[in-house]
Amino acid sequence: MSGWRAARLEEIPARNNGWIPVRDHLGIRAFGVNAWTKRETDGALITPHNELGTQHEELYYVLRGHATFTVDGDEIDAPEGTIVFVRDPGVTRGAVPVDDDTIILTAGGKSGEAFTISDWERNWEWNRRAFPLYQDKKYAEAAAVLREGMAAGGGGPGLHYNLACFLSLAGETDEALEELRIAIDGDESFRELAKNDGDFDPIRNEPGFPS
Amino acid sequence: MTKPYEVASIDELDRIPVMHGLEWRPIRRRFDIRAHGVNAYTAEKPGDWIVEEHTESAAEHQELYVVVKGRARFTLGDDELDAPTGTLVFIEDPSIKRKAISEEPGTTVLALGASPDSPYEPSAWEWWFEAYARTPEEGAAILEDGLAERGEHPALLYHLACMEGKLGKVDEARAHLDRAIELDPRWRERAESDEDLTAVLA
Repeated sequence: MSGWRAARLEEIPARNNGWIPVRDHLGIRAFGVNAWTKRETDGALITPHNELGTQHEELYYVLRGHATFTVDGDEIDAPEGTIVFVRDPGVTRGAVPVDDDTIILTAGGKSGEAFTISDWERNWEWNRRAFPLYQDKKYAEAAAVLREGMAAGGGGPGLHYNLACFLSLAGETDEALEELRIAIDGDESFRELAKNDGDFDPIRNEPGFPS
Repeated sequence: MTKPYEVASIDELDRIPVMHGLEWRPIRRRFDIRAHGVNAYTAEKPGDWIVEEHTESAAEHQELYVVVKGRARFTLGDDELDAPTGTLVFIEDPSIKRKAISEEPGTTVLALGASPDSPYEPSAWEWWFEAYARTPEEGAAILEDGLAERGEHPALLYHLACMEGKLGKVDEARAHLDRAIELDPRWRERAESDEDLTAVLA
């Protein structure tokens, strides 16, 4: 082993949501780093999100092309070479491309802690396999995939929340309530999300459903 | 009040000359990023340095270099790498000696770094890179700031001694040099051939 690795960005296969998994491809363990291209499904570059779950600071760099960011409700014109640093994990941030071939590099980590791989990244493979089953209404099979993911080291509140959704729709009420409880214990924001999530309609009136 | 986000163009970043045409464009410090190191480096001409020769043995950082403009030639230990725009170079082993030379005008490299095993702290070199780009008086003040933030760091003490040596403050320089060597004896050898410290060691 030489102790170093190199790649051209275009050599790293983009996943179907426009994600170029730089960190995973190179085996980086010290910080989060990824690149994002226009997503086929909705044309976005960066899905509007916050970092409350990870408490990450995030740096965005427009590597190629031209994007429009929306951060904390403000619209930011971002041609190539623009740096957007989002310090506050609670701020909602997202980006859409102005030019179709735009690439954004992102880097992130939590101040004061050594980096650990984010839940969304380590769970990606399981969610990728489970969601088509969910869309085909094969809820028990979708739940089985996420359970397999948890057994293989996946986890975190988001994965438990998704499993709760699938179990609710599969009619496994007690298990769904338990998974939802775990999700909310890990990330209180899931309590609010669950209130309006139609996946929980089958169990919404159960005594154990979170208020 | 700290702003929840900040925006800048890479062209707006400070330009701090380092050596052999290499310019440091501070990103981490501009935004006070605390989770990892991140900076840009630019070189105006082919043949200029774009990454100075160094290892990361002291900080034990993993480093990622991204060629965002132009073309660079990296030397990584005994290996050579042609790196056009869009190349990512990840150096996992901190002990690998690394260096890069610009091969096109205006080559720009983004660099990220941190240790995988411990929380990130701003690297001491940030202070001494800037100190040497300023007058000795300003440089000494910058290194004092670094010591206030990083505590007794041998490299910061050493470079403060150099600034004080330039200013003729022999006693202060001697005290800081002695403490740097006490903390890390490797600085002794460098001091013996450092022109800034000639009067201090006389």
